[in-house]
Amino acid sequence: MRIDKRRLYHLDWILICNGLALFAIGILNLVSATSSFYSGSYNFIVKQLVAFTIGVIMILVILHFDYRVIINQSKWLYWAAIALIVLVIIIGMAAGGARRWISIAGISLQPSEFMKPVLVLFLANMLYQKKRESVSLGLKDIAAPMLWTLIPFFLIVKQPDLGTGIIILLTSLAMLWFVGLKKSTYAILGVVGAVAPFIVWRYLMKPYQKMRVLSFINIDADPAGFGYHAKQALIAIGSGKFFGKGYMAGTQHKLQFIPEHHTDFIFTVFGEEWGFVGSIVFFILFLTFIYRCLKISLNAHDELGSIIAFGVTTIIYLQFTINVLMAIHLAPVVGIPLPFISYGGSSLMSVLASVGLLLNINMRRYMF
Amino acid sequence: MEYKVIPWKFKWCRLILIVTMVVLSLRLWDLQVMRGGEMRRLSEQNRIRVKKVIAPRGVIFDKSGRVLADTRPSFNLYITPEDIKDFSQTVDGLAKLLNIDREDILEKLKMASGFPPSFPVKIKPDVTKDELAKVEAHRVYIPGVSIQIEPKRNYPYGKMMAHMLGYVSEISSEELKIKENKSYSPGDYIGKYGLEKTYEGYLRGVDGEKRVEVDAMGREVRTLDVIDSIPGNSLYLNVNLDVQQVVENALENKKGGIIVLDPKTGAVIALVSRPAFDPNKFTSGISKQDLKAINADPGKPLMNKAIQGGYPPGSTFKMVPALKALDLGIVNDKTGFSCRGSFSFGNHSFACWKKGGHGSVSVHKAIVQSCDVYFYNVGLKLGVDRIHEMCEAIGLGPKTGIDLPGEIRGLVPSTEWKRKTYKQPWYEGETVSVAIGQGAVWLTPIHLVQLSAFIANEGVTFKPQIVNRVVSPEGKTVKTFEPVMKANVKMKKDTFARVREGMKGVVNEPGGTAYSSRVQNINMSGKTGTAQAGSLEKGKHLGDHAWFIAYAPAEDPTVAISVLVEKGGHGGSESAPIAKAITQTIFKANTGAKEAQTNENR
Repeated sequence: MRIDKRRLYHLDWILICNGLALFAIGILNLVSATSSFYSGSYNFIVKQLVAFTIGVIMILVILHFDYRVIINQSKWLYWAAIALIVLVIIIGMAAGGARRWISIAGISLQPSEFMKPVLVLFLANMLYQKKRESVSLGLKDIAAPMLWTLIPFFLIVKQPDLGTGIIILLTSLAMLWFVGLKKSTYAILGVVGAVAPFIVWRYLMKPYQKMRVLSFINIDADPAGFGYHAKQALIAIGSGKFFGKGYMAGTQHKLQFIPEHHTDFIFTVFGEEWGFVGSIVFFILFLTFIYRCLKISLNAHDELGSIIAFGVTTIIYLQFTINVLMAIHLAPVVGIPLPFISYGGSSLMSVLASVGLLLNINMRRYMF
Repeated sequence: MEYKVIPWKFKWCRLILIVTMVVLSLRLWDLQVMRGGEMRRLSEQNRIRVKKVIAPRGVIFDKSGRVLADTRPSFNLYITPEDIKDFSQTVDGLAKLLNIDREDILEKLKMASGFPPSFPVKIKPDVTKDELAKVEAHRVYIPGVSIQIEPKRNYPYGKMMAHMLGYVSEISSEELKIKENKSYSPGDYIGKYGLEKTYEGYLRGVDGEKRVEVDAMGREVRTLDVIDSIPGNSLYLNVNLDVQQVVENALENKKGGIIVLDPKTGAVIALVSRPAFDPNKFTSGISKQDLKAINADPGKPLMNKAIQGGYPPGSTFKMVPALKALDLGIVNDKTGFSCRGSFSFGNHSFACWKKGGHGSVSVHKAIVQSCDVYFYNVGLKLGVDRIHEMCEAIGLGPKTGIDLPGEIRGLVPSTEWKRKTYKQPWYEGETVSVAIGQGAVWLTPIHLVQLSAFIANEGVTFKPQIVNRVVSPEGKTVKTFEPVMKANVKMKKDTFARVREGMKGVVNEPGGTAYSSRVQNINMSGKTGTAQAGSLEKGKHLGDHAWFIAYAPAEDPTVAISVLVEKGGHGGSESAPIAKAITQTIFKANTGAKEAQTNENR
């Protein structure tokens, strides 16, 4: 199948440029985050660029197939992702402890990252008929989607990767809301939503995760541990002041006051070096990107495209928002990467695959 | 939109995006703009450690520029509380590694609790090479521990001059609370004793600062800037190390105190107290056992006996009634008393040291042979108050004002003193004892060197002064200590002549109590004293304190000496030879005195 020039024309170039801008910022920021004052190891950068290249290839592959064709394979993708997650858990247990990674030929992959777009496809496949018929979903209607969400949710939380678990759960809920729910369903979900945190706290969360929540509520609850890191993150961002300390001049991360400053806490690096002005520009870039994604959902050719686009957008939005809120101490610390910016091949490829889906949907909006 | 979309859901989405933007922007405005300054300060505080660059303390030299106290590099162990990750890991780990008491570490940390956590607390000064290697090897496991090279006080002669030089040691928490010590922080060294204490202000330099950037582990990443330290001023003493050496050797394995000074200026040429201590032990933080041993020593090594030891002066004190009686004309060179070996007063009999008696005694013979009976008579004729008055004039009793801390007062009784202290009248019988330097008379060796200087200099004394001048690190003289006159008493020329003849005779006339210590080529004058340590009446001998005061040359004295050997025995046999050795050293008249049959007693 040749690439249709018309379809190329219909590609959302604005979204692509916006995404490239974010990725460029991400790479520049990563260079600073992974180098000390004296020397930098470009190992991280090379890996990130390799992941980007693979991601772009994934986009091209995804664009090649109509999303309606892809959706037919969603079941296989879903089970493949589940299998990988289970594999990670088994290997992890054999190695004497849970883990999130799987190494294939020297490349570490995080299957839970890929679960995010795959689950969106899987749920969209189940729900788009309802949406087309404008059926408000009752309890029976949401049972299956919830089941298919909770299976990977528990598996991922067990890894333990609470952050990714939360993202897929919230994304599913958002998709259900997008399709439409009955008032009674809202009520039931509301009740479950009120009770669930207690159950999660009591049975699911590990002590260190609880500590993170406690030190979010009271930053001095664990002054030597998470509270310390939360404070250092605040100091990093705050000390950037209006114009920032300047590129490569952030002292907080370069002197290792902030853990995970190249992954989950990457925003502290940016905030410290670029200040208020840079951060606002960064937010605007991000939110316009998300707005652009929403527009794809709005203008999709059919409900299927609309739901997929909405689900994928939700993932990106939630990751961005929760990650930044976490860095500025408005949310407890959970491991959620900042799309395009955080170091991490799986995360970047997952995001790029999502972008591929969005472009796919947008490209085919005038087709019948 | 060809298909049914639900626009209100997208409106919701848009609203959520706007709210997100607003919340994030407001929070960043708060953090980066409203609180940005504070956050910037906190981040600077995080990364910048101000490290003290300890200024080397001033060097102490003897008169001819020989080093008596200097500084050498030492490795000191610090803990920076801020950099501790796991408290018990660091503290217990260190305690185990170097075999230090855990409580000691905690105590040190507690002492500095008023300081910011980035302030490094000194845990162990002067660690050995082995300990240093251990710490370096285990550094990763004891975060917060660091080693710094700092100057440390060093006394190359060890025990020698310990009481004069004194020592420095870490400032105590009590001293830190004193207002004058505002510029000190825990771990700083401060002069605690001797010249180190008196001249702390001159000797202490101005510490510099080094601002370094550290990472979250407390490791130094780079140096930002350095403010150099300014070394302390040096002291040049009046002390002559050669003389000091002789005096030190003379008192080896004995107890007592010796002072040698120049009567014309008050310059202290040598000062020794024994037993002594090694000041080097104090600078590296004296161990509890060592301190216990020093405190338990009955010889009281920490006491400077030359200025802090009060003793009955014994016969050396006889010079006081002699001066007063001659000056007032109560006796003259022809006045004679008869000594039959004892003296009765009231219903009590006071013995002369010479059981057979001295026969007819003039003032000259009384001094030369130290006849007690003569002075019993003179004392009674004078009365205690006139003796007291003479002492006041000479400066016996009040502090001499030597530039060492802790000098004590002496005591020369008077009727008024007894009335005030005991609410009792003075009994004449007590005057008898006072006249020969017993009873309630208590003086220190430095008082008696002043007595010697008073006679040598014919009525003029100066404040004893150890330090000659203060010299800045650049070699500029900051301050020179000019002689300060203490006593200037006008007396009859004749009075001094009689007394000086007597004191010359003590050493140089056959029958003189220190005849065996006469020096060839130079005339030394002196007066022996053998003071009973116990009560006079009971005659219960705890051992006699051996005194000798001297000056030389007899004709134009430039040296005054006071020697006390605690429970040493006879002044003539114990202390006079020391004075002789000193005189020989000073005047290099190093020819042995002829053996002579002696009358070495009082």
